[in-house]
Amino acid sequence: MKLRNRVTTGKISVDMTPMIDVVFQLLIFFMCTLKVIEPEGDFDISMPLGAPSASSTTDAELPPFKVRLQADASGNLATLSFNGRNLGSDVGAFKALNSEVFRAVESLKSIGPDQVDKQEVEIDPDYNLHYRHIISAIGACSGRLGKNGVMVRYISKIKFAPRREP
Amino acid sequence: MKIKPTNASVTELDMTPMIDIVFQLITFFMVINNFDQNEADERVSLPKDQLAKPPAVQRKNSFTLNFGFDRDNKGVILDPSPYFFFGDERIPLASVRPRLQQESQFFRTVGTELAEVTVEIRADAEIPSGMIQELIQICQENGIEFQRFALKVTQAQIQ
Repeated sequence: MKLRNRVTTGKISVDMTPMIDVVFQLLIFFMCTLKVIEPEGDFDISMPLGAPSASSTTDAELPPFKVRLQADASGNLATLSFNGRNLGSDVGAFKALNSEVFRAVESLKSIGPDQVDKQEVEIDPDYNLHYRHIISAIGACSGRLGKNGVMVRYISKIKFAPRREP
Repeated sequence: MKIKPTNASVTELDMTPMIDIVFQLITFFMVINNFDQNEADERVSLPKDQLAKPPAVQRKNSFTLNFGFDRDNKGVILDPSPYFFFGDERIPLASVRPRLQQESQFFRTVGTELAEVTVEIRADAEIPSGMIQELIQICQENGIEFQRFALKVTQAQIQ
């Protein structure tokens, strides 16, 4: 029997128009919803607010490190002190705070390795002090950046002292 | 004069390179689009710090409070009183308590322990610190009882 060759060897053309429509819709959606935001992080610390009647000792039976931040009339940092020692008011003050906390943590390690985990820092700012100084103080107490960009943690328990009235 | 008829066949364009590029663009926009920070309000100018890191594990139970000033395009503060931004709504610190009670009630209703809920505070760098302390104090009051807080910070460049 003679079979006719019905199979055509021509190129099958697929209609691309709907796909291109959808792809452009997606492209416009992603372009319009794009928000250029700087990457955000936070401090992974416990943040209890110091109760007015809280005892002055921690679980480690040691008093918390006290960081006092005094503000001038415009809310800028006037004085930064660590356990009563004045560290100044400029950018170097927070570096000095970082060094003081490091020294204090090293001396705690000599008492016992678990003492550092229990140790708290109490931040005591003036009411009108700009919030960015608190963040700088928390950063200085939390630790420092190591050589490879990994954080070396000093203190993980940070709390606020009772609020000072304006 | 005799004119020869022109060949009226449809000219087919090769769409492949264009589709390739469009897919590349879609992939680019999908990758750089940060859907995690949709709760971030652009009006809040966060403080910066090098040590602030995004949480290693995405928090399951959290909500964000945006606390900032009304600023113009250049970042100049227009109103010295800070507000909480909930979409288009602006609430001063003195009136935020009912909103926090609503949030607390919501987590209780869905059966989430309040001890596991993290309040992410996105506060402007120039807000008085006492107001942040007051906010944390309100969050810890009876009837609200949030216990975990995270202070959001913009990651500063490592120098």
